[in-house]
Amino acid sequence: MSEFLTYLKTISDVSIYIEEDLLINYSNINFDEDIFFVKGKGDIILSFVKMIENETSIPIINSYHGIWVAFNRFINCIMLEKAGIPIPAYSLNPEEEPPPFKNYIIKNLIDQQNYAFKPKIEKRYRSLKVKDERALNEKGKYNYFFYQKFIRSKWEYKIYRIGEDYFYYKQLPVLVEPDKMKTRRTIEPNPELKKLVIKATNTIDLKIASVDFLKSKKGIYYLTDINSTPNFNYIQNGPVLIGDYIKAQAKR
Amino acid sequence: MKIGILSKREITFTGRMKHYLEDLGHEVTIFTAKNLIINDNLLDHDFFILKSKKLPYLYAGRFIKEKGVPIFPDPELTYKHKHRLDAYYLMQQAGLTSPPFFVGTKEAIKNHLREEYPLVSKSLMDSGSKDVKFINSDDDLNSLNEDVIYYEKKIKGTHYIMYFIDNEISVSEKPPLSTEHAKMKEVAPSEDMVNIIKKWKDYHDIPFGHLDVIKEESTNKIYVVDPGNFPEFTNWKHDDDPCPKICNIILNRIEELKKNTL
Repeated sequence: MSEFLTYLKTISDVSIYIEEDLLINYSNINFDEDIFFVKGKGDIILSFVKMIENETSIPIINSYHGIWVAFNRFINCIMLEKAGIPIPAYSLNPEEEPPPFKNYIIKNLIDQQNYAFKPKIEKRYRSLKVKDERALNEKGKYNYFFYQKFIRSKWEYKIYRIGEDYFYYKQLPVLVEPDKMKTRRTIEPNPELKKLVIKATNTIDLKIASVDFLKSKKGIYYLTDINSTPNFNYIQNGPVLIGDYIKAQAKR
Repeated sequence: MKIGILSKREITFTGRMKHYLEDLGHEVTIFTAKNLIINDNLLDHDFFILKSKKLPYLYAGRFIKEKGVPIFPDPELTYKHKHRLDAYYLMQQAGLTSPPFFVGTKEAIKNHLREEYPLVSKSLMDSGSKDVKFINSDDDLNSLNEDVIYYEKKIKGTHYIMYFIDNEISVSEKPPLSTEHAKMKEVAPSEDMVNIIKKWKDYHDIPFGHLDVIKEESTNKIYVVDPGNFPEFTNWKHDDDPCPKICNIILNRIEELKKNTL
């Protein structure tokens, strides 16, 4: 964030609203910002976003709906599937129910905290069971596990969207190489992936996002994750690109 | 018809609905946390009733709706009843008054709002009286969990629960911080209470439910503090049973939903 803020301050006046200090008073709403950019997804931040959307005409990136749907895995699966985007088969099962698939990943249901994917892997003859530690930490909270059918793929594809610009990368899946940046490389623009990213981000209303895909043996790209607050330091010149995009979206 | 009911419990109002609908010749399954697996296997029902506002049931409701199976009440409207801020905007849209409120950490409240005590703390995602606490001092604030971020200005006055089913209204005086199952005394609905219910149900097209309100002692103004779209009707004070009425309303609504999707 520091590089981004340094750049943003050279092109505009910037006020920073930090979740810990923020007090939202719904009877006293008065802002003179021309745009808000959201880099967080906690409940206080989201309450702030909802208030801005409902009480003012100030543009805000990303929207409440986009952020909320992106971290609600089950809801985004429903919406993406309905939009015709290939996603791995999924099921929400009570904790005590047996897994619905032979090869699966248990993912956290609500991906609202900024913790990285931490897999516990169980390989047995012809079956693979992966449990994200974040999902296991949810145990007892919802009494449900979110299962996603495991897609075997040599590469994981990561596409960033910043407004109408798209950035294409691939890396070995985290299950193969935990240090995701070690194998990350830029790839040529891929029209098929671009089409899927446009459809997915438009479906849930994200202007800035990263979207992950796995490619099956049959050559189908399956969307496995969508993130409303990507780390844009991983994109060359990312902080400048984001800063310029936000400025261009401001109301004045 | 094959009907599914998404509910925390098999007994009480849900159980009575099941019996009533079975007596009408329908096949009814109640899905609780014991048997609710949310995937395509759910879709072999003709329609669903969303009785619970807990998260897995809301997810199931949304899944069922998006897959084209009729469900009532609407899962998205039900979610908005449960989320304090969404509920605030639902009330605002309908022209109802609710108490001033604030969102922030305990530290932010201490730093900026100490002079606003007494406050009422509530869970952001939970309607009803669960986890509702009065905050009169920093000590009260310190005793809360870190994840409590929603606070309302405390309104000094009398608390009422106002049930409605179509044009019928039943109002009872409610002890502070009690659930809808507490012992309550029936009161005659005032004209402003009737108006509030009319605005609410007409604006959002809600045929039954309840509103928790407080009549402020100093002004007689009515503040809505909590809406609910599927109560147990424990304190429904009319002589007739609300269960058949509710079931028939749902059956009619499902027919309308089916027509609209054709």
